[in-house]
Amino acid sequence: MQYALLAYDPPEDTDRASRPIPDGLVDLLDGPKVSGWARLHAAGSATTLRNDSSGILLTDGPFIDSKEYLAGLILVEADNLDGALAAAEEMLREARCGTAIEVRPILDGRFRGA
Amino acid sequence: MALDAVFRDQWGRVLATLVGILGDLELAEDAAAEAFAIAAERWPRDGEPTNPTGWLVTTARNRAIDQLRRQQVLAAKTKLLARDLEAGPAGPEALMDDTAAIPDERLELVFACCHPALALEAQVALTLRTLGGLSTEEIALAFLLPFDTMSKRLTRAKHKIRDAGIPFAVPPDHQLPDRLAAVLAVVYLIFNQGWGGGRVDLAAEAIRLGRALADLMPDESEVLALLVLMLLHDARKAARLRDGQVVPLDDQDRGRWDMRQIDEGRALLRRAMARGRTGPYLVQAAIADLHLYQPRDWRQIAALYGTLARQTGSPIVEMNRAVAVAEIDGPEAGLAILDRLDLDHYRYFHSTRAELLRRAGRDGEAHHAYRRALDLAQTEPEQRFLADRVAETAPSV
Repeated sequence: MQYALLAYDPPEDTDRASRPIPDGLVDLLDGPKVSGWARLHAAGSATTLRNDSSGILLTDGPFIDSKEYLAGLILVEADNLDGALAAAEEMLREARCGTAIEVRPILDGRFRGA
Repeated sequence: MALDAVFRDQWGRVLATLVGILGDLELAEDAAAEAFAIAAERWPRDGEPTNPTGWLVTTARNRAIDQLRRQQVLAAKTKLLARDLEAGPAGPEALMDDTAAIPDERLELVFACCHPALALEAQVALTLRTLGGLSTEEIALAFLLPFDTMSKRLTRAKHKIRDAGIPFAVPPDHQLPDRLAAVLAVVYLIFNQGWGGGRVDLAAEAIRLGRALADLMPDESEVLALLVLMLLHDARKAARLRDGQVVPLDDQDRGRWDMRQIDEGRALLRRAMARGRTGPYLVQAAIADLHLYQPRDWRQIAALYGTLARQTGSPIVEMNRAVAVAEIDGPEAGLAILDRLDLDHYRYFHSTRAELLRRAGRDGEAHHAYRRALDLAQTEPEQRFLADRVAETAPSV
């Protein structure tokens, strides 16, 4: 089996990008159990797209969870946010109505081949 | 020219160039602020340089390089900058002497600031700060918000641009109409906020922004049309209020209209119309122009509101069309249009409807509509005006 571990952080004032990952955590992330990881920019960098009956709606900020559940994780390569938003929109058009995708830039990470 | 005015004119241009070089809005803004502070100290003493833009860009860039060197992240920050550094001091010197060599990147800047991934309120604040050159204090004051709130809003937006990778670029053709509409919406929102009477003249700021955009996109009819719309509305500013009361257009003292500004607007309107494309701002500009003639050509006004209603699907536009139709075919014809609209929450809907009911001799219904409008009225002059109408139409006992 493969599992996704989803990490949540409390809000903070310092710049996330300039803060290193704690040493102990680095060791675990580099360990054999981890097949890949991505560290995300803080929630303030997020943009959310929703597909509802009226079309695709774009808002500034993270997805606010009400009764929806986290359903998946997709990693994309893009030149800038416009490229990432276009990829998300393309997928949303094929997804069920009521689906949302939060687009969040990746700060750093490591990915192993499939 | 006074130093302040030079600074305001240069700020957007200098900042945009720096963002282009440094690739980071916050860093560029800090460096620009430093350069302007140095200029404020030196120029009065040593005289203004022959090329103020070049001087400011070069000085700011050198400051940014110093700062990046200190941070030792120079290479990671930008390749462009690294190349300039290798070129040695000849680069900056050459830049200082040749204005033509400095690309004007204000458009790239404004499209980044009005990116749809930023909240509208952040787009507005950022545009005023970057292209408009207003200080954070001035923007906070204009929107009646505490300084800290506005400062946080700006910082957050700048960080989002940096972290999320919002491009500093003019959008490709297929995205341009939507993205341009977003930019124009921000400028028009700033203009309309200006009617609120804050301590910063936002209407004047919006017109400045409109002029800059018209300068940068002289072939976009909607850009020209938005400037026309603002110029024509603003030209009537001095005549709009008398003793704290809103003066209806027909009762305004035309001697207090700024005719030079109206002429400028009309010349621009002709230029915009010659472009052929008829977007919603062009229609609104044409309507604003028609309203300035006496007597008003209500047929043409009604037809243009019809066009605008089809373009925007806005019931408020349809309400305005009803007013024009009432002038042509009588109040009942206007009321027939109003009765199809779902605008019960909108205060001007009730005052408009009341006025037409009164003219149609339906005083009882007019009385109720005026009372509904009074319930929803937000400003004191409006409340006074409506209270008078309520009294006038009260049924005699």
